[in-house]
Amino acid sequence: MAQVTLRTVVKKYGALQVVHGIDLDIDDSEFVVLVGPSGCGKSTTLRMIAGLEPISGGEIVIGDRVVNDLPPRHRNISMVFQNYALYPHMTVRENLGFSLKIAKRAQGEIDRAVDEAAEILSLTEYLDRKPGALSGGQRQRVAMGRAIVRHPDVFLFDEPLSNLDAKLRTQMRTEIKKLHQKVKSTIVYVTHDQVEAMTLADRIVIMRDGHIEQIGTPLEVFEAPTNTFVATFIGSPPMNLLEGRVAQDAVALANGITVPVPEAFRAHVTDGQEVILGVRADNLMPVGHAMPMEGAHAAFDMTVNLSEPLGTETLLFATLAGEEVQAKMLNPRPVASGEQLRFQLDLTRCHLFDAQSRQSLR
Amino acid sequence: MNDARLHRLRARSLKLLQLAALFIAMSIICLPGLWVVLNSFRPTVEIMAKPPVWIPQELNLDHYRAMFGDLGEGGVPVMRYFTNSLIISVTSTVIAILVGMAGGYAFARYQFKGKAAIFIGLMLTRAVPGVALSLPLFIVMARTGLIDTHIGLILVYVSLNVPFTIWLIDGFFRQVPVELAEAAEIDGCTRWQAFWKVEFPVARAGVASAGIFAFLTSWNEYALASQLTRSTFSKTMPVGLRDFTSEFTINWGGMCALAVLMIIPALILTFLVQKHLIAGLTFGGVKG
Amino acid sequence: MTRPRLPAWFVLLLPAFIVLAAVVLIPLLLSLYSSFTSYRLTRPETLYNWIGTFNYEKAVQSAHFWSAFGRTVLLLTIALNLEMLLGLGLALLVNQVTYGQRLLRTIMMFPMMFSPLLVGFQFKFIFNDNVGLVNNALQSLGLTNVAIPWLVDGQLAFISILVAEMWSSTSVFAILILAGLFAVPRDPIEAAKVDGCTPWQSFRHITLPYIMPFIYIALAIRSLDVARAYDIVQIMTNGGPARRTELIWTLIGRTGYVDAKMGYANAMGYISIFLAIAFTIYFFRKLNAARAELGMGG
Repeated sequence: MAQVTLRTVVKKYGALQVVHGIDLDIDDSEFVVLVGPSGCGKSTTLRMIAGLEPISGGEIVIGDRVVNDLPPRHRNISMVFQNYALYPHMTVRENLGFSLKIAKRAQGEIDRAVDEAAEILSLTEYLDRKPGALSGGQRQRVAMGRAIVRHPDVFLFDEPLSNLDAKLRTQMRTEIKKLHQKVKSTIVYVTHDQVEAMTLADRIVIMRDGHIEQIGTPLEVFEAPTNTFVATFIGSPPMNLLEGRVAQDAVALANGITVPVPEAFRAHVTDGQEVILGVRADNLMPVGHAMPMEGAHAAFDMTVNLSEPLGTETLLFATLAGEEVQAKMLNPRPVASGEQLRFQLDLTRCHLFDAQSRQSLR
Repeated sequence: MNDARLHRLRARSLKLLQLAALFIAMSIICLPGLWVVLNSFRPTVEIMAKPPVWIPQELNLDHYRAMFGDLGEGGVPVMRYFTNSLIISVTSTVIAILVGMAGGYAFARYQFKGKAAIFIGLMLTRAVPGVALSLPLFIVMARTGLIDTHIGLILVYVSLNVPFTIWLIDGFFRQVPVELAEAAEIDGCTRWQAFWKVEFPVARAGVASAGIFAFLTSWNEYALASQLTRSTFSKTMPVGLRDFTSEFTINWGGMCALAVLMIIPALILTFLVQKHLIAGLTFGGVKG
Repeated sequence: MTRPRLPAWFVLLLPAFIVLAAVVLIPLLLSLYSSFTSYRLTRPETLYNWIGTFNYEKAVQSAHFWSAFGRTVLLLTIALNLEMLLGLGLALLVNQVTYGQRLLRTIMMFPMMFSPLLVGFQFKFIFNDNVGLVNNALQSLGLTNVAIPWLVDGQLAFISILVAEMWSSTSVFAILILAGLFAVPRDPIEAAKVDGCTPWQSFRHITLPYIMPFIYIALAIRSLDVARAYDIVQIMTNGGPARRTELIWTLIGRTGYVDAKMGYANAMGYISIFLAIAFTIYFFRKLNAARAELGMGG
């Protein structure tokens, strides 16, 4: 059990810098997910924590030890790889017990630990198979079992679910969460899938181009994104962004449409400021098919270009202020292309970003 | 309807033609070897008979008996050559595999400047024709007293085999995902343990086939051995084969028997590794 | 943790470098030096008798040298091309077979395990004018009643050597091209069929580009080993009779060991080395280009 601390950690490959001095404090038994588009440095960060990549600058602390120069084997961590990295020449039992065998533990102790892990992950009946004879989901479980047998301080997961099909992925996601509740170790988990991040994490770390964009609980990053990148990366469909200018407590969008400045942002904007209005599809709904909006809201007509029925709701693509935006329709009815509908916009859940810095104005 | 029948007829005759071509090709491949094997069992009189005897009248083990006999046929110490060949081939193979494994691993796992150039440079040392290399080697070995010794020839065969061994082993290690070694390191292995406990066992079959390839090269080599060995102390079988020829006569039967003795180990070993051998060559070569 | 001063890859490659330097590089430097002297094996002091480029001039002006050189290039060119075509044909034939293919593949590897020396001996026996298989067969079939001097007549000997060389090496091509055929993805071929390609067109435009890298691997491997032909020729004719099948390698061997003119032999040796290296580099280049075309580089 241990905290993990990153202090201005830098990674360079020659002249190319891929991680730009990031700071991160991970609490004991916390589940932290690093999420971001490919190439954002999340995997590199994880591999630096693991000790698989040397650190070009800064400091990594696991527990109370600075581990910068420690090889992986001295960090008391375990890792689940994207392609599982199971040892193909060993049986499942040998795979699970390998780390303990290397540590020269007694055979009895190894057997107990392996049986226990196999029990937790329901692998008992496959113990004598080779990885080649297992299905994708079973291999995934062996990889997780190999990680838990040695009771490490920290678990590292590198996109562990990306090779599974959609159904299995959802299932394994739940298993990982249950596993965390059972073993209560610190977990650092890397993924590019924001749904995985939202569902698993105690805290999410959103990264882009080697920088941390925001750290927060799933609800924090969803409800109060600090910039337009986080706003569009977290949540599905992505948040609609509309450029405008502040004029007398209202945001003037293109084509003469104005929206009142949301209450929460009043104090932070000045007249004439260029801003970006952020609206999620969940807060832009046709009248009569919307959530009840108790706070301030605006309303206007839009023409629907396309509709995608999803069952409980329908996703609408419509034009607002010259931009295509996505809106949601609850209790859906069939909508034809070209149909004009009146939409309600929930102002209490709108966001304002500065047009230059693209940072939140709250 | 007629059209369909025509098509079928054409397809069938094409198939027949293919089978015939295949049969001829395979016969051409097999015949010379079988001819040698057959003649190793025939008495010299029958081999030399004019007009030729097509259906063997008598098959016996005379040539083998003579070969393994005390002095050997015409005094050719075949067993001595066999032992020399075995010692030299096995030792040089083991060393070449160790050296090649280190080198192949370096090419498979590390990125460094001039990698491609170094690789081709290593390969080019193999392109030097044996006879052109044997002249200066002969001088060097004569000076250092390594001529006509096992060590001299072993050293030469190690260097002959290293480039190709590196090529093959590079290919095999490249098929082993890097994550395996990383997982092993996280499981508590040192780099060295990770190699021997995980990467090496996974690539073992490939390394073995590279070894057998090296063994065959040493076992079959002639151009260098013929110059660097002088006496029964170090002569290998390919060189020994020449003992059966004199200025005007050739002991065909005896030669055939020795040839069979040379081929059998080679045959067995090649059958063992044929699958891996092709995989190693093409993987190393094609996937960059 | 202290950083090692030498990078790991260098340490790992060091044994290979050392062995190759000792056995290949240093002797080659020595032979380079001796090729500028009048070194004779029988008179060691001649090693220090610097004669400049005399040996090279002598070689360049020697008709024997040029005829051997020309014959070598001719033999290699014909042999490599025929081997490639036959190997391709053989691979395509075997690839069609579904039942018993393993056995065929194993038989195909048969000649690869024969020592080139054995190949030479085997064909010397087969082409022997008196007791050889070929003449025996021709005579028994009544096609001829004279003993055809396969290894004595210059042109026939060249053909005999060519046959032996091809027998021993065609399978290298066949095996590697077959491996290439296995690696050709099915989708593009099926797409081509649907697009209306004839079998020949889909072979020409889909299959062939895919197996090109494999052909070049085979060529590269062969070019590393072209001097295998020396063993075959040495045992079959040893360049004779009367230099009628002299290749550059047999010429070098005879000049160096029989005539003991080491300096001169080394000068010719160097020319043969450059010939071999040129072949090898050419094929490695081609291999890289073919790879890049298929996006398999790096």
